[in-house]
Order: sequence, then C-alpha cells, then structure tokens
Amino acid sequence: MESFGEPSMLLCASATSLVKPQGSFMDADSEPFVPTSLLLDPKNTGNVLDEGGFGSPGMVLCPSDQTTHDRNLRISDATLLGDASSSISSFAKPSAVPSPKHVLTDLESDAGFGTATLLNTTSTSTSLLSTSNTASSSCRHISLTRHIEQDDSTSGFGSATLLNDSFVENGLLSDSNITSSGPVEDSQSSFALSQSQDLPEVADIIRPYVSTTGAIASSSGTVVVQRSTVKATTFDGKSVFFRRKPKRIGTILQTAPGRSEKIGKLLDVPIHRLMENLSRDTAAKLTLKGSQPQASTSSRTEDTLWVDRYRPERFIELVGDDRVHREVMAWVKEWDWCVFGNKKGKKRMRDDENLDEWKRPREKLLLISGPPGLGKTTLAHVVAKHAGYGVFEINASDARSAQIVDERIRPALESGSMIGSNKPTLLVIDEIDGATGGSDNSGGFIHKLIQLIQERPRRKGRNEPKRVLPILRPIVCICNDLYASSLSKLRPHARIIRMSRPNDLHIIKRLRTICDEEGMKVESRALTTLVGVAQGDMRGCLNTLQMIKSRYIDVTECVIRKATAGMKEAEASQTSVLNDLFTPMSKKRSKDLGLTEEQESRYVTRLSREIEASGAMDKVAIGCFEHYANLRRHDGNFSHYLKANEWLSCYDLMSGEMRSEREYSALQYLSYFLVPFYPLFQERGAPRVERPKQDWEHYTQMKTNEEIYDTLAHNLRSAATRLGGAYRHFASQNLLHLEFAPFINRIISPPLRPVNSQVIKPEERILLSRLVDIMVALELRFFLEKTEEGQNTFRLDPPIDVFVTYDGKRATDLAVSRFAVRQLVANEIDAKWVNQQAVETVAASKPKRNFFGRQTASAYDPRIIGDGKLMPGGRDTDAPPNKRARKEEDIVEKVPTDFFGRPIVATGNTTKPASRKAHVEKKYRVSYKFHEGNSAAVRKPVKVSAFL
Amino acid sequence: MSLWVDLYRPKTLDDLHYHEGLSNRLRSLAASGDFPHMLFYGPSGAGKKTRIACTLRELFGKGVEKLKIDQRVFMTPSRRKLDVNIVQSNFHIEITPSEVGIYDRVVIQEILKEIAQTQQVDISAKQRFKVVIINEADSLSRDAQAALRRTMEKYMSNMRIILCANSTSKLIAPIKSRCLLVRVAAPSEDEIVKVLQYVASKQPFRSIDQNVAREIAEDSNGNLRKAVLVFEALKMQTPDLSGPLTIAKPDWETYCQKVADMIIQEQSPQRVMEVRSKLYELLVHCIPPNVILKTIADHVVDKVDESLKADIIHWAAIYEVRLRNGNKKIFHLEAWVVKVMTLYKHFFFGIDMDGFD
Repeated sequence: MESFGEPSMLLCASATSLVKPQGSFMDADSEPFVPTSLLLDPKNTGNVLDEGGFGSPGMVLCPSDQTTHDRNLRISDATLLGDASSSISSFAKPSAVPSPKHVLTDLESDAGFGTATLLNTTSTSTSLLSTSNTASSSCRHISLTRHIEQDDSTSGFGSATLLNDSFVENGLLSDSNITSSGPVEDSQSSFALSQSQDLPEVADIIRPYVSTTGAIASSSGTVVVQRSTVKATTFDGKSVFFRRKPKRIGTILQTAPGRSEKIGKLLDVPIHRLMENLSRDTAAKLTLKGSQPQASTSSRTEDTLWVDRYRPERFIELVGDDRVHREVMAWVKEWDWCVFGNKKGKKRMRDDENLDEWKRPREKLLLISGPPGLGKTTLAHVVAKHAGYGVFEINASDARSAQIVDERIRPALESGSMIGSNKPTLLVIDEIDGATGGSDNSGGFIHKLIQLIQERPRRKGRNEPKRVLPILRPIVCICNDLYASSLSKLRPHARIIRMSRPNDLHIIKRLRTICDEEGMKVESRALTTLVGVAQGDMRGCLNTLQMIKSRYIDVTECVIRKATAGMKEAEASQTSVLNDLFTPMSKKRSKDLGLTEEQESRYVTRLSREIEASGAMDKVAIGCFEHYANLRRHDGNFSHYLKANEWLSCYDLMSGEMRSEREYSALQYLSYFLVPFYPLFQERGAPRVERPKQDWEHYTQMKTNEEIYDTLAHNLRSAATRLGGAYRHFASQNLLHLEFAPFINRIISPPLRPVNSQVIKPEERILLSRLVDIMVALELRFFLEKTEEGQNTFRLDPPIDVFVTYDGKRATDLAVSRFAVRQLVANEIDAKWVNQQAVETVAASKPKRNFFGRQTASAYDPRIIGDGKLMPGGRDTDAPPNKRARKEEDIVEKVPTDFFGRPIVATGNTTKPASRKAHVEKKYRVSYKFHEGNSAAVRKPVKVSAFL
Repeated sequence: MSLWVDLYRPKTLDDLHYHEGLSNRLRSLAASGDFPHMLFYGPSGAGKKTRIACTLRELFGKGVEKLKIDQRVFMTPSRRKLDVNIVQSNFHIEITPSEVGIYDRVVIQEILKEIAQTQQVDISAKQRFKVVIINEADSLSRDAQAALRRTMEKYMSNMRIILCANSTSKLIAPIKSRCLLVRVAAPSEDEIVKVLQYVASKQPFRSIDQNVAREIAEDSNGNLRKAVLVFEALKMQTPDLSGPLTIAKPDWETYCQKVADMIIQEQSPQRVMEVRSKLYELLVHCIPPNVILKTIADHVVDKVDESLKADIIHWAAIYEVRLRNGNKKIFHLEAWVVKVMTLYKHFFFGIDMDGFD
C-alpha cells in the first residue's frame, strides 16, 4: 500500500472496529504508531472473522488510564470487514492510529465499509467515539447501536476510525467515494439504519465484545479546520481528547464537494467499484499534478530551502543506514530510565550493569561523525523528538568557549526541560570539531564538557554552598572529523557512531520523491550522476536540484553536469591527490563525472585544482618526491627522473621564494609545478601511493639529534664558564657538528683494559684520569640501564655517540666500549662528581662567612689558580702525586660539613700530618668571591690581606 | 679539564706560532690608540679567534680573560622569544647572531645599542671603548648587516666591532669598507707540524714523531684546530703513538665518500633510492646540506674521467645555489645525484648529452 509509510495514516471506517487498549504511553504529540496494515483491500474482506483476535476482549479499546489527554490510545487492531457485494457492512482490519495530530478533519463514513466513523469534525460538529452510556456530550450526534445499549457496561467504547487526508492524497480514497457527511441527521440515520439492519448477524457472533462505533458526519465545512480538541468519552465515563492539527487544507478543499453528493448512497456502492473509483481518481490526480506543475510550483514562492522543506521529521523518514539510526535511538532510549523514571524500564534494560547510580548509560555522550550532508543533525533532532525530548542545540554559530558550558549548557541540562515545555532537554552540540580546547589548555570547551559529564555530586563541604548535580540528560555531539585533535580527549568518554554514505539507490529514491513533489522532471540518469558527483551528500544534491529548478524544468544529465561543476573538489585528501597524480583517473570516476575521452586526457586544470584544493601542497610535493623513484624503473637514461627533479626543484624554489618574500600571489601557480608528475609517471596498475612518512620520520629524528647537539652545546658553554672560556668556540653549530662531535667521541673512547682501578698501570691511570676529567668537564656520564634482553649496559648521556653512528653502526675505528670499561669509567666519573659537588657546596654555602669559600674554578681544578691562568703542563707532569694530594683534599672537603652544610674546618686540618698540611695549606688561596649578579658596582679583585 | 686545543691556545700576540707579520701589525694597532673596526677573515681553523683574543688581551690586559657566559632572551617584534648565548668580559662582548637564524637583526640591534649607549665605567680601563665581537659574520642576514652599517659609524666613540668570517663574499660592501680587513691565512703544513711539536713538548711524552705530525698536518688541510683535535684523538686511542696509525676522519666525511662511491658504481632507480636514504641519514645527523653536496662532489670528481669533472662541479654549484634558496634540501641533493648519474651514464655509453648550458 502506498500510503503505508505515512504514519499519519488513519483508519478507515469500520462498522465495528475494535480497539484494544494498549496502555502504551504516547504523548499526544508524539509520533503515532504506524499502522502496519491498512486494509482497504478487498482481498482482506471476509477473512476477518477468522482472526482469532477479533473477538477477543482485548481488542476492545478501553483506555486504561484515567487521564485523558496525555494518554493516548493505540488502536492496534481495528478490523474492518466489508462485504462489498452484499453491501452489508463488513469488517476491515485496519490498524488505527489515533494520533490526534493527524486526525482527519473531515469525516469519513464509508459506504463500502458499512460504518462511518470518524472522529473529528470541525468546530461545528464533532463526534467521535461515543460510548453507550454517555451520549457524548458535545457531539452533536452520536450513533449508538442497540447492542451497545444492551451491554453497555461491558465493552469499551466504540472505535473510531480516522481517515486522514494523506490517505486521500495517496489515492486510496478519492473524493468520490469518500462519503462526506451531508446533513448530519442524514448520515446518522443512515448509519443507524445500517447498523440496525446489518449488524445483528455479526454482532451475534461477537456479541459480548462488539462495541459500537460512533459515526460522525461532518459537513463540508469541515475543511476549515481549526485547531481544536476532539473529545470522546469512554464507556466508563472517561473523557478522551484528541488534539488536532490543521493540515493540508488545500487537498481537503478539493475533496469536499464530492462528498455531499454521495452521502445518501453510503452503502450502495460496492466496494470494488469504490476501489475502482478510487484508483481512477488517483490516476486523475496524478495526471493533473503532472500537467500543471508549473502552475502549482510557481505559485509557491521559494522561500525555504528544499533541504529544510524536506527535512525528515519522523524517524522512519530518515534515509540511510537504519542500523545506525537505531543505534542512536537505542542510546537515547537508554536514558529513559534516568530521564523518565522507571516507566517501562526493567525488561528492556537487560544490561543493567551498564548503568550507574542515576541509571545513566555508561557513555554519557554520543558522538556522531561523518562527512557533511548525510543527515547527522537531522538524525539527532528526529531521534530526540521521537524519544520525547526537547532539543537544545549549540552549534558553530554560538561561541564555544569554556564559559558557555557553565553559562548555558549546565543550566539547560540541570533544569531538565526548557522553559515553556514539559519535555526533557536533550543537548545537541553540533560541529563540535571546531570547538576549542580539546588537546591543550585546561580551560577549553571540550575539557569543560568532559568535566561536566564526569561530575558527581560532591559532599556538602563548608566551602560548597550548593550541591553540584550530576548531568541527567543525554548529550549528542556531532562532528565531521572524528579524529580531529580537539576531540581526542572526548573520544574515550563517548559512544561513537559513524555515519557513512548511504546506498545511492536510497538517496536517488528520495530525490525522486522530492522532485515529483516539486514537479520536476528528472531523468534517472541525471539523479544517478548527481549522487555520484556529490558522493552521497544529500544536502548538496538537494541544493543543486533546487538551484537547477529555478532555471530548468527538465533535468537532464548535462544540466546536472553543468550545475555540479566544481562540486566536491575540495574534499580531496592528500593521499587521494597523490593517487590521482600517479594513476590515471578510474573509469568509474570519469563516468561519474561524465567526462569524454578528450576531457579526460586534459589533466592540467583538473589536477592543479585538485592539488590546490588539498591545502597541503608541500605534503603533496613530498609525497611525489618519495614516490616517483618507485616508478619507471625501466627508465634507462633517467630522462623522466631528471624532469621530475627539475620540477620539484622549481617547486621548492618558488615556494621558498614565495614565503620569504611574502608574495603569496604566487601561490596559485605553485600547483602547476607538481602536475607534470602525471604525464611523467602516471601508469595504470602502478603501486599505490603510500602516505609519505619517510620525510617526517627523518625530520623527527633530526630534531632528536639536534636536541642532543643542543645539550652538548649547553654543556660546552657551562664548561667554558667554569674553565675560563675553554670550550666555548666549539659551541657554534658548524664546528660542533663537523669537527667536535666526531673527534670528541674518539677522545673519550681510549683503549682501556677493564681492570680494577686499584691495580691499573700508571700509563693507563693517566689516560683514565684524563678521560674522566674531560667527561666530567663536558658533563658526560654513563648511566646503567637494562636493555630489552635484560642485560645491563652503560648508556652515554647525553648520547653523543649517535654522531659517529651511521646506518646503525658505530665507526669502525672506534674501540668497542665494553661494559667493564664503561663501568670503571662510570665509577670514576661518579666519584669525581661527588668531589666536585662537595667542593661546590662548600664554595657556595660559605662564600663570605669565614672567607674560606674558594672560587669554583680553582676548586675544581687545582692547576687553575686564582685568576684562571693555567699552570702550564702542570697536570700531567706530576699527575700521580697530584692525584693523591687531591684525594686527601677531597676527604677534607667531604667530611667536614655540619648540619647546615658548613665545613668543620678545624678537625679536618688537625688530623693531617704536618708535611701534608703544609702542602695543602699552600695550595689554598683565600680570595673574595663576588656574587655575580645584577649589581653594577665596580668590581675589583681584593685579597683578604687588604682587610686584615 | 680542557682539550689540548684550548689548553695550548696562545694567550698573547707574542705566543702566536705563525703569521709573525700579522701579529706585529695587530700589536701596533692595539698600541696606536686608534683602533678601528676590524674584519678577520680566513678559512676555518686558521686562528682568527685566537688572534682576536690576543688582540683584545693586548688592548685591555688580563682582565679580558675573565669571561662570563650567559644566555639572554630577546623578543622579536612578533613576540617570539630568542635565546642568545653571550660571552662577555668587562671590556668586550662576543655574540653569534646566526644562532637565531633570520632573527639575527633583532639581536644585533639590541646588543649594539645597549653597548653603544653605555660608557665604560671602569676608570682604570685601558681603552674608552668596548669591543663587540660578532662571530660567523658571513651568515648574517642582509637586514642584520644593514642594521650594522650606521651603528658602526655613530657609536664609534664607545664601541668597536670585530667581525669574524670565513669569507668576505657574503658581506655587503658598506660593511667591508668600514672595517679594516685582516686576512688570516691557513697555516702551512710546516707551521702545523711546528704547532703539533709544541703541543707534544708540553706533554709527558715530549715529542711527536715527525712523520706522524706531517701526516696529521696533511690530513687536516690547513685546519689547525682539526689537526690538534686529531692529534689528541690519536693520542687517546693509541697512547704510545706507535705502529700503523690511521688518521681518524670525521664519520660524516667517510659516509659521504661511501655515497660518492655508490653514485659511481651504479646508476639506476634503485640506486637513487639507496642514495636518498643515505642522504637522509646525513641530514639527520645535522650535517649542513651544502657541506654534504660539496664533500660528495669532491669525491665524485676524484673518481671520474677528466672530461666529466667540470660538468659535475658545474651542476654541483647550480644545485648548491638552489639548496640555499630552497627549503627542502633533500630535493636538491637528490636532483644533483640524478643529474650526476645521468651525466656519468651518458658519458659511459657514449651518448651525446645535450641540455648543458
């Protein structure tokens, strides 16, 4: 049945349509239950009696709840039996939908079905369902059958059958056979008559259950529909209200005249004739529509976008992957328990463990992602509406800063519903990938949002004036790029739903419906092309069509081509651009775009535009560079390679020039430098271009190395400070990279034997001490580390040995540094460090108090005296004794620090043998140490003697 | 503990081992009381900085050796922070503006103004001016050099500038005309040997074998610093300096040599890829691309036929220019490699090549 998808479909008449109380909750405005079978089909006639359900008491509708207007009836089963031939009232079995919204304005009393039912009439006459005992008050007429009168108390109320205008539109019932009510008395009487005549047999069978119907007649005036409530009363005295919404008055007007004629012959026309009429009328109407599209459409001003006009409003109208839609719905439904209380919860909540203490699902956010134009926003809105929420939307047009969360979102969510509505709020955050603060700053929108959903009520503390409520309303976020950096924090907290391009057929079908509606003649091929070019973007398609419509009536493929030129070009990613550069256009795509062979062979404009649109021209260039050498392997004389390199060089020069001179007008020509890769290298079946990563890898590696160099340079400078400027010249970049790094590695790897430092030979001792000195000066150290295999190794830090390691191999002339050797060196270095630190703390902690602090430099190296002058050659000529002397000094300096780090000098000195003491004392130079700081005072070296 | 290079660096003009004439001239300049702006230029490792330090010592006395090294932060107009290392004494300041790349102008302006506007406070100072030493002056950007011009004249009373560069070709003429140009030539091999002997004499082993010294000197190519470093490395690695000695080459140089060999051995797309990965490896080690190009070109030229040499160097020069102007160094390096491969191949198969301009 055509009208099937229309949820607003209403029930047609039934003599005895039985309504079953479902008790299902439906808000008056919410989506109607969709009838699953609507039977005007003659085929259905006569079989109703077989249906077991028919006689069951359950089919009698009696609203289970006391409340009237917020409860809804679901008429699940209405049966209509019709026996056309006998003109006896028959039963049909429609599923009635009681949504008041769609209740038909005009009434139907259908002859063929032997009953009149209907619901609402206009303001003037309304009769709905009547119950037997209450001859429904406001209604002008109600027909009651005697059966009802007899056993009034038992059954529910008479069924109402509603006939929707849409129904009429769909051609199921045409005007001609819609019997409209004439004078009300008429219809009533005829109805009463029919009832009394025909029903008994039937009623006998099903007596206890049958309720009656109220027949309602409406005058032709019904078309002028106001929003008014239709009231009905159940058997047990409850009032039921149906709210009505005006709809499509135009069509109704058309139908009006026919009705009055027919009213008298309500039951005279056999159903097959009725059906015939009906289909004829439908046909007539369709042709009518086709013949005067211009008239109808041009009269309508194009003040809305098609996108808005045909935006789906109901769940089943959505185009796309139903599974995705249901998934979204299911998530929203998971909130029911939390939002609406425990209504119908338990059996649906199989996964109770997913819920937290407020019965919220585990993921409090839903993140819908997908390319534009697939209907993500629509989906969110429709689902929210369907599930009974009011939508609170925040999108890119709003400021999205952290304050918004506090100022708007939180109040909206906490208040539960919006002002003036009794529906709970559902927050939709559209285009969230443009929001700030996902990755870095803690004050960003996303960060705040995450905080919001993670909030738990805090204990009432002293400083906490009011309790922070947890968020008890669902939040739906919508984005294009799921992997946008700003969303990285959000993803773990959200249930992620990806929308993908729906099947082209579905889109085409929907487009076709819309075009029919708008009266456009569209070739199927044109639509296919359009969808192909738009790559499934529904919004794009609709906008294109609307635009086309303003100019053409007939839509052909070539019109579409013209209109879509340039569409979707901006979508190309870097990899796809590269693929387009290195492989010829696929047959399918060129078909999609409808290119002729000649057009296809013209690549320059196409490719240059694509490259430009990718927005990452440099990356494309790098991609070209990395890929080209994989191709044309048979190119013997490198002619292609030469040209390719020439183009790349030019590209680089040009872009460099452009940037340094800030001549960005050159940007538009830049893409042409990369286009030549197409003629040079394009090849069918060539290896696919991979995402260029080599360059990036090397770049990061270089950065790491640069960091090491920087550390080394820093160490050199600090060594220079200590040693009076000794290493400073090496800190300049080129020298460091080219000369210092290779040679220092050799200098610090002497061929030492791994022996105990106690039994080491004197020459080696010299070597070792020199090595240690250099390493300490440069702050190079060995750190013990465990390798993956669990072995201990000593790692050089900073790892300057990378500079002699090419291709993962150390230089061959460097002695392999063995573990034991490194251990030996490491120990020595550590000892030296300890000494040095002790010296420095002494120097730093007591610079003035006892005039005993010494200059760091001189403390560090005994050969540098006072003003930093070196004692030439002093170190190595008398290395061993000097060494020992130093050792002794070290003891002196290590021991004597008291709790405050002050050296206890006296004890250390007195323990020494006199000769040594004399020697040591001689070496001490007492000098005044300036604290080098901000003072601009005149500085002058002064000896202590000057003060004594 | 310093390396030998620093340990035995001459402190005064009298200690210098070679270029006697130059030393004398510097001495008399320092004594004249009319010290000009100066530009020291010459190859790397010739002794420019040593001579500058000695001249300063001559000018200001020992106080100039009391160095303080610290880092200063400069702010560009675009609010970018620049860290610059500054070496200074009471009498001079030493900067390397090229550390901050294209922002060197900011550094130059700030520092020079600061120095120029403060007078020497130390009454006992020998000179009334302070000296600013600008290292790597040849990598100063145009802007920075222009910023120098006027300041050099204007603040002559408070400040002298000593520029230190490898070559004068990258300095603009107005700068050159404001300076006294001092060329410090690379020492000859004999001079290097003499210095090595001197270094050895300060060591416990007292002397170095003449042949070893000669070998080091030859290898160092006139770079005294490198010679001394090699000497020290050699000493560390083979303490007794006996037996067959191999003079250590820097690793990147060895690697470049390998690349050159690869280019000559085979010319094929696969080889292009292999060479590319080697070039990347060199770049990753922060070897300047123009050094890579130059070194490889040198080695390639050594191995090819005489008739090809000119072409290869010609193209190397062209691609070096491109390197400097461009951003992606690897593009130009590879372009040159492909060019050389083509040239070599054409030469080998006797195909006439055209397009050579």
